[in-house]
Amino acid sequence: MIRLFLSFVLLLVAATGFAKGQVDTSALKYMPMQEAGRLKPYDTFARESLQLIYGKSKYNGKPAHEIIMTWFILPEAWAKKPIVQIKRSQLKETLKLPKEKSFFTPNELFMNDRVSLAFQELAGRQKMKEKLDPYFQSVQRLQNQLGTFRTITAGDAFRIVPQKDDDAWLAFTDSGFPHAVAAGFQVVARTFIGAIGANLRDSVSDVDLKTQQEEFNQAVAQLMQLSKSQAPDKYPTVSDINTEVHYNTLDPFKWSWILYLLGVLLLSIAWYSESKAFYSAAWITFVLGFIMHTYGFYLRVVIAGRPPVSNMYETVIWVSWGGMLFSMIIEAVYKQRFILLCGGIGSIFCLVLASLAPTILDASINPLEPVLVSNFWLLVHVLTITISYSAFLLAFVLGDIGLAFAIKDENKHKMKIVNISNAIYRSIQIGVVLLTAGTILGGIWADYSWGRFWGWDPKETWALIALLGYLAILHGRLAGWLRPFGMCAAAIVSFSLVIMAWYGVNFVLGAGLHSYGFGGGGVQYVSGFVIAHMIYVVFAIVARQKGGGSSGDVAANEAT
Amino acid sequence: MKKDLPTRILKFLASLKLAVIIILAIGVLSAWGTIVEAQYNSRIATKVVYHSIYMVVTMAALVINLIAVIVDRYPWKRHHLGFILAHIGIIILIIGSVVTYQQGLDGSMRLAIGGGSRHVMLPQTDIVVWATFDGDRWVKTYEDEVDFYMKRPTPEKPFVIKAPKGEVKVTGYIPFAFEERKLAASEEKDAGLALRFQLQNANINMSQWIQMPKRKGPPSVLNLGPARVVLHTGDYKPSGENEIVLFPSKKDPKKLDYQVYTKRLEKVTATGKIGSGDVIETGWMGLKFRALKYIPRAKEEVKFIPRDRPTEITRAAIQLEYKGEKHWLGKDSLLKFFTDSSAFIVSYGGRRVDVGFELKLEKFNVGRYQGTRRAASYASDVMVPEVGKVNISMNEPLKYKGYTFYQASFSEDEETGEPDASILSVNKDPGRWLKYLGSALIVLGCIVMFYFKRAFRKKRKS
Repeated sequence: MIRLFLSFVLLLVAATGFAKGQVDTSALKYMPMQEAGRLKPYDTFARESLQLIYGKSKYNGKPAHEIIMTWFILPEAWAKKPIVQIKRSQLKETLKLPKEKSFFTPNELFMNDRVSLAFQELAGRQKMKEKLDPYFQSVQRLQNQLGTFRTITAGDAFRIVPQKDDDAWLAFTDSGFPHAVAAGFQVVARTFIGAIGANLRDSVSDVDLKTQQEEFNQAVAQLMQLSKSQAPDKYPTVSDINTEVHYNTLDPFKWSWILYLLGVLLLSIAWYSESKAFYSAAWITFVLGFIMHTYGFYLRVVIAGRPPVSNMYETVIWVSWGGMLFSMIIEAVYKQRFILLCGGIGSIFCLVLASLAPTILDASINPLEPVLVSNFWLLVHVLTITISYSAFLLAFVLGDIGLAFAIKDENKHKMKIVNISNAIYRSIQIGVVLLTAGTILGGIWADYSWGRFWGWDPKETWALIALLGYLAILHGRLAGWLRPFGMCAAAIVSFSLVIMAWYGVNFVLGAGLHSYGFGGGGVQYVSGFVIAHMIYVVFAIVARQKGGGSSGDVAANEAT
Repeated sequence: MKKDLPTRILKFLASLKLAVIIILAIGVLSAWGTIVEAQYNSRIATKVVYHSIYMVVTMAALVINLIAVIVDRYPWKRHHLGFILAHIGIIILIIGSVVTYQQGLDGSMRLAIGGGSRHVMLPQTDIVVWATFDGDRWVKTYEDEVDFYMKRPTPEKPFVIKAPKGEVKVTGYIPFAFEERKLAASEEKDAGLALRFQLQNANINMSQWIQMPKRKGPPSVLNLGPARVVLHTGDYKPSGENEIVLFPSKKDPKKLDYQVYTKRLEKVTATGKIGSGDVIETGWMGLKFRALKYIPRAKEEVKFIPRDRPTEITRAAIQLEYKGEKHWLGKDSLLKFFTDSSAFIVSYGGRRVDVGFELKLEKFNVGRYQGTRRAASYASDVMVPEVGKVNISMNEPLKYKGYTFYQASFSEDEETGEPDASILSVNKDPGRWLKYLGSALIVLGCIVMFYFKRAFRKKRKS
């Protein structure tokens, strides 16, 4: 549909005589290559590289696969363009770079003596096996950026030819790179430049464009054929490559949050207007978004060949999926509208976060550490623990809404708050059962893989702490200390334990056996998020005491 | 209505308030433990927090609270089922942990490729003294477990080791020491000589040490591609290659005499004296030879540099004092002492336990992710007595004579990068089945509690 729309726009533009058709270079996206321990389409490599170096998936509106190819063809020109993103001001300071800029040319960085000094210092740290603080993590990132730029411009990165008797694929710079393939690539490069040039110029006739297009497509097909012929059994199948390019192009998680957002809007209207039609429309939108979400997840499983819960990005996607699932189930039972609303808000928040912070939440698909490969118990325990976070996420958003009502007018919204607190109770129950089971399954995994049931590993320990926090809430509710208002507040406060277990252990503590999920950055935002919520809770409590409205608690919780 | 004292005590012990306090206390202690672990390592977190008296007391209080609450609910009704199952499950889980702590074994075994071992390294640290009187037979004369991290030895309060003659005192302790080997000036007569130099031209820039460990010994030769550097104290015949030959100057003890031999001209092209800071123009493609530091009498010194935090390459070190002389000793090493008539060795290191059989590593396989050096999998082919060859891989452990051997990691040769030894984690856990049983009861109890509560209640109503 989108393509239809686009071609319609193109037609329109062409008709006005303003612009003209373009040569489509997407055929190149499908070229298989070997990188970072797996086979992937060139499209994925180009996107990941541009994301790493430039911090965005496009450059001036041009797609990554075109940009990266021009880096290789015209390295000198690109070395003079500000394309290397440096965010950390401490690093800019050390390198004596202007603070107000965030993009620098590869040349100015290669020539900068302080860069090599910083790299030496980093090497010293690594040699001493010391943990890297955020500053050195940023140095390491710069090293990766410049290293990747170099391998692209030098051609080392383009490992496009399989070998019969070795698993490593060959790049242009390797001795033994077949001449035929090199010649084939030259044709691709020539037609590629032709295509790019034609796209930039105005005075190209449609016939020329068509010829160019055919020439280019044929050159790429020819190149892939030549590469494949070197070792046909090691070449990935067309469908594998197509699936991954399809996943890259579709961006399913973006579509799912857009649909969820639409659902939330429809639901809000339904809530205020008490309209059944809008309620049904919201349900349909949510289900569509959920199908898209599930489909994206499925594609990722197919591409990676494993369940995708091995890094922060993947768990964020998974948790938002679970949050949506639980809210749909509880909504279907209670039909309260706000449950689906909260689930939608939580999911949107997670998914937007995942797409906004690619440097922190790395979306690339990477090989696993050996201990994680094909382990049934690992899979079960991580899936169970993280999906329990979904339930707590739902409780958290519900708590936010509940407190908002309490601040507005607790007596007037008494019933709403009671209903919300019951939904919170349900979510926490689901979460506690799953987290208990998941933590124990983690014990079984540890016993199976390392020979001990419980090793006080920080990730496991924090999952336990979160569990203890929620157990305290359940017991507090049983004792009658936590009334509806208290449940809302507790659901918000205790979610900070989940944030610690989920994000904090990897990004703040950064220790332990679960070190495969480690990364850096974003600590200030996450702490800000947590602190803001704590202030919100305190504000609600103060506002409530001033209003003297503790009468809302008279409507006791579901008798126990 | 006033209840009698035992009932009131039971009510308090079984109270929800106590339960919540205990739950929160365990949470806080665990959180503290993870912070200690992040700053140091898991072993220290275990010592300082997880196995500390605070944790033990809290866990004991939890068990008492759980038992009290189960007793308090007597006579039990059907709707108590989930609650009782879950709470008994927790008690069994804790008992299982105690059994593991007391009777379990958790260590590691290092098997060099082609080699074997019958010893498991445990986390406990021992000091052992071996003595000999004829220099031939060694007898163990002393053995004691030590925990210097928790009980620090100081010069004022040393830890005393009984030696065959007198006593050795441990007067100092560095928990995280980085071992640095350094060449330093020495007073000893037979100390060798050492020179740090730099070779530089437009393409090359390298600096390196050349050292003769013994004053009277064979020449020391470094073959550096474009040039050979030779350090000697006696006679040396030119090899015929491009060569810089250095030997101590008789006139100036702070300098070296040198000869530069050029292959192309087949003769010595330069001679002279060189000291720290001086430069020789070799005449080979603009190559400069700069003496950075010359130590006429040099000896390798081992220094333990304290670090704030442990890393993979730090280890503990202790200071030993014997007859007024002090020596530093790193963990997992030993030191030899001499008395008038005998000699003895003090060893300081992890405890080794003989498992009673020998495992031999025949082959070690590392699978790499395609086209990278990243390990994707690794496995050991181990020869087990009475069983034969067994393959131990990441998730396929070997169970033998009550022990379980897991493929934990491997070590690589520093130069070639090829694996040279496999590291197995060795485990014996008699508490395992209690833990599984307890876990199963907890999960079952939770499900019964949350999802069948309604059904029970409805039944009661009707």
